[in-house]
Amino acid sequence: MIKHDVVIVGSGLAGMRAALEVCKDLDVAVLSKVYPTRSHSGAAQGGIAASLGNSEPDSWEEHFYDTVKGGDFLNDQDAVEEFVKAAPSVIYELEHLGCVFSRTPNGKIAQRSFGGHSKPRACFSADRTGHAILHALHEQLLKSAKSVKIYSEWYMHSLILDGDRCNGIVVSDIRTGAVEVMQARAVIFATGGYGRVFNITSNAFAGTADGVMSAYRAGIPIEDAEFVQYHPSGLYRQGILFSEAARGEGGYLLNGKGERFMEKYAPSRMELAPRDIVARAEQSEMDAGRGVDGKDIIHLDLRHLGKARIMERLPQIRQLGIDFIGVDCITDPLPIQPTAHYSMGGIPVDKFGQVISDAEGTPVKGFFAAGECACVSVHGANRLGTNSLLDAVVFGERAGKVALEYAKTVGHAPVNESHEKTKVLELFEEIFQQDGGECYNDIRNEMKTIMTENCGVFRDADRLKVCIETIQNLRQRYKKGKVTDKGKVFNTEVYEIIELGNMLGMAEVIATAALARNESRGGHHRTDFPKRDDQNFLKHSLVYLTDDGMEIKYKPVVITKHQPAERTY
Amino acid sequence: MATFRIKRYNPEKQAESYYEEFELDIKHGMTLLDCMNEIKWTLDGSFTYRMSCRSAICGSCAVKANGHSLLACQRQGAHLVKDDDTIVLEPLGNMKPIKDLAVDFKPFWDKIDKINPYLQPNEKAPKEERKQSPEQFRLIDDSSTCIMCGACYSDCNVLEVDDNFLGPAALAKAQRFVQDSRDGKTLERVRDLSKPGGIWDCTHCAECVERCPKPAQPFHRIKEIMTVALDQGVTNNNGARHALSFTKSVKSSGSLNENIIPVESVGIFNIKGLFDLLPVGLRMFFKGKNPPIFHKSIDDVEDVKRIYMELDE
Amino acid sequence: MKFALFTGCVAKGATRELMLSTMKSAEGLGIEFVEMKSAACCGAGVVSEKNPLLADALNARTLAIAEEQNLDLVTICSTCQGILKKTECHVDTDAAYKEKVNNVLEEGGHHYAGGKIKVQHFANVLGTEEGLKLLREKVKRPLTGLKTAAFYGCYVLRPSELSLYDNTDDPTGMEEIFEILGATPVYYDSRTKCCGFPIIMMNKDASHDMAGNALIDAVDSGADCVVTGCPLCHLSLDAYQPEIHKMNKKGCSVPILHLPQLVALALGYSSQELGMDTHVVTTTGLDKILAQ
Repeated sequence: MIKHDVVIVGSGLAGMRAALEVCKDLDVAVLSKVYPTRSHSGAAQGGIAASLGNSEPDSWEEHFYDTVKGGDFLNDQDAVEEFVKAAPSVIYELEHLGCVFSRTPNGKIAQRSFGGHSKPRACFSADRTGHAILHALHEQLLKSAKSVKIYSEWYMHSLILDGDRCNGIVVSDIRTGAVEVMQARAVIFATGGYGRVFNITSNAFAGTADGVMSAYRAGIPIEDAEFVQYHPSGLYRQGILFSEAARGEGGYLLNGKGERFMEKYAPSRMELAPRDIVARAEQSEMDAGRGVDGKDIIHLDLRHLGKARIMERLPQIRQLGIDFIGVDCITDPLPIQPTAHYSMGGIPVDKFGQVISDAEGTPVKGFFAAGECACVSVHGANRLGTNSLLDAVVFGERAGKVALEYAKTVGHAPVNESHEKTKVLELFEEIFQQDGGECYNDIRNEMKTIMTENCGVFRDADRLKVCIETIQNLRQRYKKGKVTDKGKVFNTEVYEIIELGNMLGMAEVIATAALARNESRGGHHRTDFPKRDDQNFLKHSLVYLTDDGMEIKYKPVVITKHQPAERTY
Repeated sequence: MATFRIKRYNPEKQAESYYEEFELDIKHGMTLLDCMNEIKWTLDGSFTYRMSCRSAICGSCAVKANGHSLLACQRQGAHLVKDDDTIVLEPLGNMKPIKDLAVDFKPFWDKIDKINPYLQPNEKAPKEERKQSPEQFRLIDDSSTCIMCGACYSDCNVLEVDDNFLGPAALAKAQRFVQDSRDGKTLERVRDLSKPGGIWDCTHCAECVERCPKPAQPFHRIKEIMTVALDQGVTNNNGARHALSFTKSVKSSGSLNENIIPVESVGIFNIKGLFDLLPVGLRMFFKGKNPPIFHKSIDDVEDVKRIYMELDE
Repeated sequence: MKFALFTGCVAKGATRELMLSTMKSAEGLGIEFVEMKSAACCGAGVVSEKNPLLADALNARTLAIAEEQNLDLVTICSTCQGILKKTECHVDTDAAYKEKVNNVLEEGGHHYAGGKIKVQHFANVLGTEEGLKLLREKVKRPLTGLKTAAFYGCYVLRPSELSLYDNTDDPTGMEEIFEILGATPVYYDSRTKCCGFPIIMMNKDASHDMAGNALIDAVDSGADCVVTGCPLCHLSLDAYQPEIHKMNKKGCSVPILHLPQLVALALGYSSQELGMDTHVVTTTGLDKILAQ
């Protein structure tokens, strides 16, 4: 049995930021199924929000309102207030740690405009902000190597809960296949999102709901799962991201007729409306046959920005276009489409990262979560661009702090090692023993296709029902798959199968929560209920796994300063 | 139809690696990683490699294709098909394979660790951000794009023969701190980096520039560190002495005095070093190959001296 | 064909046979070389370690001199070739930098305009359609039966955007020349690798090891000789071959030729006329092969 004071699962911004807090006083392990620098936080491009006011006067109050309005008033406002107030100091701290930022002529951190933000408040490092922060935090972990043990390429299988207390996790070493129990006084999940359940997604292959689903299986609900953000500028067919920064810098969106169609949908903010609105506008244009060449393509046109600005501010985006689709955005528009990007929902936590198991806020002792896998909820029904990196850093730090304080007050609780281990060993054995005729790849593809088609930008009850049925059917077929590789060493096939199991579970939760929410709000749009319904749905959903299947409960939204108002841009 | 000739290795099955061929129809727009996934998901599930972001930022999927390292997600499959309709896939070089195309990155990370890869400011942090001008940012802009994919490490010519070399990625990472205006340990850093295994062991082959999928381009960064090291007066090593002697030689005659440079490079008081030069010197002498004893200047050497006066005094 | 010849320093120093054979090849082919006697050393990427601007200024001066001569510039050293191309790129792509450099040059009566002349290695000249045609016409003694392994030298290949070769990972320019000369090209992996010369003063063992591995690869592939376009590679592979042998690199004994020597041999010059007797590794075996 491996023993640490605190174990953190996930090594993106939230996980590493948490580790830097915990390692101040206790021994901490960071577990990642990749290497820390490969975490998907690194793919974030455009920026991290904070009302520094470096290019225009700004205030936390404005950041607060923009975030709540952007979230279609589903945000918990007490948390949002602390979130945006913490932003400036968090950015300064990152800068002090060595993070590389683009600069204003007078040497301050440069800031650019972003969708839904009324002020230029996205601090950035060219168009690789997530990468810059990820590496800066990784550098600090290396510096703290004495008190931080990094387990790269280890997989987390399950949480060890004893009543209302978390005592560790069960893991395996991908390189050797060895299953181990990690006993800990506190566990922090920073396991990221689950965009891989969709066909068109900006997410890394690693974004497979492992953390969220293992919490769910342990009896913890998933909050607001129906709220998935579709980013307006995914590369056509591949889904990989062209940062919103491209629009922040002044890029246009054009339909097949060459029209800047955002005039019709958000006349005052145009291309810089929040992502849910822009993605829906794009989908509407395409559905009306106004995609480029009649296909599901919208043009992101940067040509008028000129070569110099593109090379200085958006060099990576330009290279992505050249490498992945053979288009140089200096001379030609980029073909894009909406892409599943971010999960607003996740493991319910309070504003300190403490995981809670119900609407009353009952804590799961010793279990914390931060970043995309968690739902605070500061993003409500739709996250504003650049608020996710901020979320990961702010709540990563907070979760680290409270986990540290908690862990200092308790000892390691006993864990039934062989029992916990056996459950995971049996899972492996089950997969190895299966000898059915089903192909996991087909199952995965069918899941992704139905999720994008029936649970995507536009949804309705009929399509969601078909979606749920299809997923349930796929879950049955999943039990009859066949694995090729039965070895122990670096068996990526078997891990992909385990991940697929998680994704199928997650897909069903998303679709079920979406079917239950008979309104349209933020990232969740029901064509059969096209209006927001504050009367009935100004509340967070909580999906539980029970012995009788799924159960949906609700939790009130915390409203402090801003009463829900009509949301126009 | 293209043939993927893949180097397979599975220590659980057999100790030796072998090549296996897979036929695949590369559809329009498929990246090399898409092709690899297609092979894994439809032809042989045991085919093993790393991948994650598929947008050239996480650095997981570097492999060797047709003998040279690259990022699989960043390249179009069709572009890599050779004249004989094959693509050869192998694991990265200079690291030990674990299984198929997945290699052990431990030596790579160990070397990153060695360069103290974190900011070491001298002054206490101000209340707000430390100031850094856009020009100062530009000095570390390129090196900070490194994604630690190991492509440079794989194809580094020096690492093929000397494990002790820090290698291109670690040195590029070092430049990011050496030239960071916020860092306070420049001198200490360039001193360390001037030791054996550091900057002066780079052989200028530029393989790393060729393989780097990002603007990090380690060789250029290594040269930038060299310039800083010389500026800081860290000259007590053969590499630095060589650069200074070379530069001096061009100044005095407009061309290289090959008789002097080796001597000045090892250090004129370095008896053993000088002794080591003897065999090749004598050998060349007896063949009549030694450079002329009286070194001749180029025409108009005065103009060269003038340029030196203007730029290097 | 008429060119400004940038000899580089080593062809005037430790590998004078390169200069000799270059002039013989030119004579045999009817190519006119005007030696750039006032051009300074390219700096070999070493002066730029000390002072990048200084190195660019010296090289821009060289390019300006070729412009004044109104002749395309030809190098006979891979390193010179790569370094001059690098300066050309630095200066041509940055107008402000160009002006800065020209301000320095002007006092000496030079001005670099850019875009007026080509910088190319002798091998590139021979590899043009015109060059190949000339070779075909002038070959007097085909090098039949001689298995030749090209060793390109890093600087003519990398970075590839500065290279004149199309496929720098698998170049064929030198091998095409070999074939026209009647020799049989030997393809081997190491032909695009580094000879180790730049670190010979800093990390001798690694340097010799690199050279040795390349030589073994060439010999194992059946080469009778290795042919290089870079005098620094020549020094590393030839002058230091005894040291390489001492490193337990068995089976790597092989003569090393400069490309112009191979060309001139086919044009009918004798190995002595081409200074091949000054090589450390004897080339007499080649004469025997050619005599057969």
